[in-house]
Amino acid sequence: MDRPSNKAILLSEKDNVATLLTDISKEQAVDILDDSGEIQATVCSRQAITFGNKIAVQTIPHNALIYKAGYAVGIAVKAIPKGELVHVQNVRSTRIDIPETIINSIIEQMQIEE
Amino acid sequence: MKHFLGFRRPDGRAGIRNQVLILAVDECADGIARAISQKVPGTVVVTNYNTCMYGGNEELINTMTGAALNPNVAGALILNMGCGSIDPELLAEQIRGAGKPVHCLPVIKSRGTRITIVKGIELAKQLTFSASQITAEKIPFNELVVGIKCGGSDTSSGIASNPAVGRAADQLVDLGATCIAGELIELIGCEDILRSRAVTPQVADKIEQLISEEEKRWHIAGTEIETMSIGNSVGGLTTLEEKAIGALHKTGTRPIQDILKINSKMTQRPTRPGMYLSETTHLCGGSGMHFASLGAQVILWTTGGAGFNNPIVPVIRISGNASQISEDIDVDVSAIMSGSESITSSAERIMDTLEKVAQGQATAIEDIGFSYCTLYQKEQRLEKVICIEPQ
Repeated sequence: MDRPSNKAILLSEKDNVATLLTDISKEQAVDILDDSGEIQATVCSRQAITFGNKIAVQTIPHNALIYKAGYAVGIAVKAIPKGELVHVQNVRSTRIDIPETIINSIIEQMQIEE
Repeated sequence: MKHFLGFRRPDGRAGIRNQVLILAVDECADGIARAISQKVPGTVVVTNYNTCMYGGNEELINTMTGAALNPNVAGALILNMGCGSIDPELLAEQIRGAGKPVHCLPVIKSRGTRITIVKGIELAKQLTFSASQITAEKIPFNELVVGIKCGGSDTSSGIASNPAVGRAADQLVDLGATCIAGELIELIGCEDILRSRAVTPQVADKIEQLISEEEKRWHIAGTEIETMSIGNSVGGLTTLEEKAIGALHKTGTRPIQDILKINSKMTQRPTRPGMYLSETTHLCGGSGMHFASLGAQVILWTTGGAGFNNPIVPVIRISGNASQISEDIDVDVSAIMSGSESITSSAERIMDTLEKVAQGQATAIEDIGFSYCTLYQKEQRLEKVICIEPQ
């Protein structure tokens, strides 16, 4: 089997999301690297995700916190399956939300599949 | 110790540029100010866009005055119409007090627009001539005051440009220079980390208080205020907290000496070298003027690919987004993203560029295109309603 070339970086071992270092399409294997470049896991993507966005490296329950770089960066507003894009369609801020109309245009611009 | 070539001002501070400001204290004098500036190279227009009344605009006038006191500024021409309540002497007195040449030119007393433009060109030329008589001299590097800001952030900011600038900020502080960050709205969620970096418990409390005031100011139920741009989110940032952690990186790791207040009563300035926070707004145009009023001679500005610029304080743009690097970007740190350059080595390149710009080398787009000299201020009536008293 060919090695998948899709990569995402897990900034802290506490994190439940990894940041994509390449664009990926649906149902592709993504290597999850730690900050020293070691492959920690391989996750199958549930939709196309562009570079810089976050992929769930484990199933995240509804109301669970999202951890990136070791810090809580938001809260899941629905259950997020492993391999799903973690973004404005399933996460809200715990402090100041982006207005709903703006969220809708982000979803539209990014063509996020729900 | 490294040196830069600077212009020593009578108040002891040293600038890396030698500009003359044309300050229109009344919005109706803006066209006159610009007509004068077009004819006199080396001048920058700063206009009070917000009525000609002093009451309620004290903070804005403070920022305008602070910009004229910035060491990159050699002198100022103050224009007013003559029917408003902003006394040009409010500004002139302080600028004169700092030993800088200043002229006041009232439009009504000068008998009209055309004649004021003619007189203004004459006075502005006198000011640029006296600026040209100041010779640049060697100034120790530790006299640099460096503003640190991000804008048009994307995922690369949090992973590459902000950490690299943070490393450079640490080096600057270690050299005895001063760095000032701001954007308190973007530090919501980082309070505990910032408290632990404060030099005293009083500074820690002040940081927490000013961040919570900024949160109160921007988070008013039922109003839809964008604290993140669509570009931020398309780039991969989901929440303000996520943006905050990325933003925090650019302040480095050194102790925080103080958090400088910018309000209707005062503009606090650094009193000793080191890393500072401030009430510098997250809004780019306004932040340029806040940094000017705090005395920064140069700004390190991390971005995805945007080309923010300020005409008083040169802006060094740093990007880690390989797909958005253009001729506007001064330092390309995108190799961090692909793992082919370390943060330390990128920080060295930022320091090299900073040194060159401090020596007088133009930034990638200096003099090409500028943001408006926006005088952001807190709305006093809103402050009262949300129970924030300026202290």
